[in-house]
Amino acid sequence: MDIEEVTERAGPREFSPADDLPEEYRKAATRMIEFHANSEIMGAYLERPFIRQAPSIDRKLAFSAKVQDEIGHGQLLYRAAETLGVKTREEMLDDLANGDGKFLNCFHYPMTEYVETPMVAFFVDGAAMRRQATLRRTSWEPYAHAMDKVCFEEGFHVKHGEDILRTLMNGSRKEQQLTQEAFEEWWPRIIQFFGPTDDKSTHHDFAASVGLKQKSNDELRQAFLDQYVPKARKYGLEIPDYPRIHKNDEGRWVVEEDDLDWEEFFTIAKNEYEPGLGQINGRKHAQEAVQWVRDTIEADNVPAGGQPPQAAD
Amino acid sequence: MIWEVFRQEENGEYHTHCGNVHAPDREMATQFAAIQHGRRKPTNSLWVVPKEEIGEIDSDDVEFGGTTDKGYRWTMTYNLQTDQAEEVVESESEQEQADKQRGEA
Repeated sequence: MDIEEVTERAGPREFSPADDLPEEYRKAATRMIEFHANSEIMGAYLERPFIRQAPSIDRKLAFSAKVQDEIGHGQLLYRAAETLGVKTREEMLDDLANGDGKFLNCFHYPMTEYVETPMVAFFVDGAAMRRQATLRRTSWEPYAHAMDKVCFEEGFHVKHGEDILRTLMNGSRKEQQLTQEAFEEWWPRIIQFFGPTDDKSTHHDFAASVGLKQKSNDELRQAFLDQYVPKARKYGLEIPDYPRIHKNDEGRWVVEEDDLDWEEFFTIAKNEYEPGLGQINGRKHAQEAVQWVRDTIEADNVPAGGQPPQAAD
Repeated sequence: MIWEVFRQEENGEYHTHCGNVHAPDREMATQFAAIQHGRRKPTNSLWVVPKEEIGEIDSDDVEFGGTTDKGYRWTMTYNLQTDQAEEVVESESEQEQADKQRGEA
C-alpha cells in the first residue's frame, strides 16, 4: 500500500497487522504510540509515592490500583507499537531508560506534595482522557483496541482525582490555600499538555491525514477547557491571571501563547530539562533495583509446590 | 486436527471465538471455517488456530480478578454529583456493566 491509498482509506480502525503499510505510516504510528506508552509508565512512577503518602487507606488502595492500571496501559501500548515492526519492545524500554524515549511534558515535573495529586490525577488525566477517547477511532486497529481498555479503566482515575480535589477544597483553609498554590504551579503545564497551537505543530498534518490522530491540538485544548475550567471554578480554584485565557464572542477559548514558557516546553521535549532527568533516572534506578525479579522469573528454576498463581485483580 | 475459529464481523472490531472445525491442514481449515462460520453471519475476517496451540488457564487453576469487591477502583464509588465529561460517563457505564457481571461467572 502506498501513502496515497492509506490516505484514501484512512478511517477508524482501518488498518491492522494484516495490511502492508508504508514505512512512513508505521514510523508515525510508532512515534505516537511509543510516546503514549512511555507517558503511561512515567505517570505511574510519578504517582507511585502516594500509595504511601496518601492520608487514608481508601486513598492508598485507589492509588495502588491506579498505578497498577497505568503500568498495564503501558504494556498494552508497547504491544500495539511493536506490531508496527519499526522498534522492538526492548528498544523502546531501553530508550526510555537511557533518556532517549519521549513522553508527556507534565510528567517531567517532580510531584512531592499530596495537594499536587489532583493536578495530575484530575486535570492531566482528564486532559489525557479527552484525547484517548478520540483515539478509539484511530486508524491503527491495535491502538484503538488498546484505547478501549484504557478508557474503560480511566473513568475511575479521573473521578478519583476529582474526589481528592473536592475533599481538599472542602478542607481547612490551609489545605485550600496549598491546593490553590499547587494549581497555580501546574496550570500552565496543563495548558501546554496539548502542545503548541496547530500552526506550530510539526507532526499533526501527516498523522491526521492517515487517520492516526483524530483531533488537532487546538480542538482538544478547546474541549478540555470547556469541561475543566468550570470544574476548577466549581471547587473554588481561581484560574491564575497568567497565562491569559478568555472566551471570545464565538464561545471559543483563546490562550495567549506568549504567556507560556515554550522554551521550557521544548527543552522538556528534548529530555534536557533538569528536573525531568530526575524523573527519567528515578525510573531507571527503580528498574535496575528489581532486575533480580526478572532474572529469577527468566531463570525458570522455580521450586515445585509453591503457591498457585493469583491473577492481578 | 481441530482448529478453533475466531470471527470478526466488521473491520476494526475484535475477533471473537465462534466455534471450531475439523480439518487436515490450515488451508482446509480456512475453507471449512468460511463455510461453517462465515456464511450466515456478517463476517469481515476469520482466524483459524490449531487447538493444541492454545494455552488455557481456568478458574480451577487460578483465582481470577473481578470477583472480589474492590469498590475503590470503580467509578461508581466516587459519587461527585457533578457533570462528567462524556468519555468519563461512557467509562462509567462500561464499568457498571462489568460490575453487574461480577459474581455471575
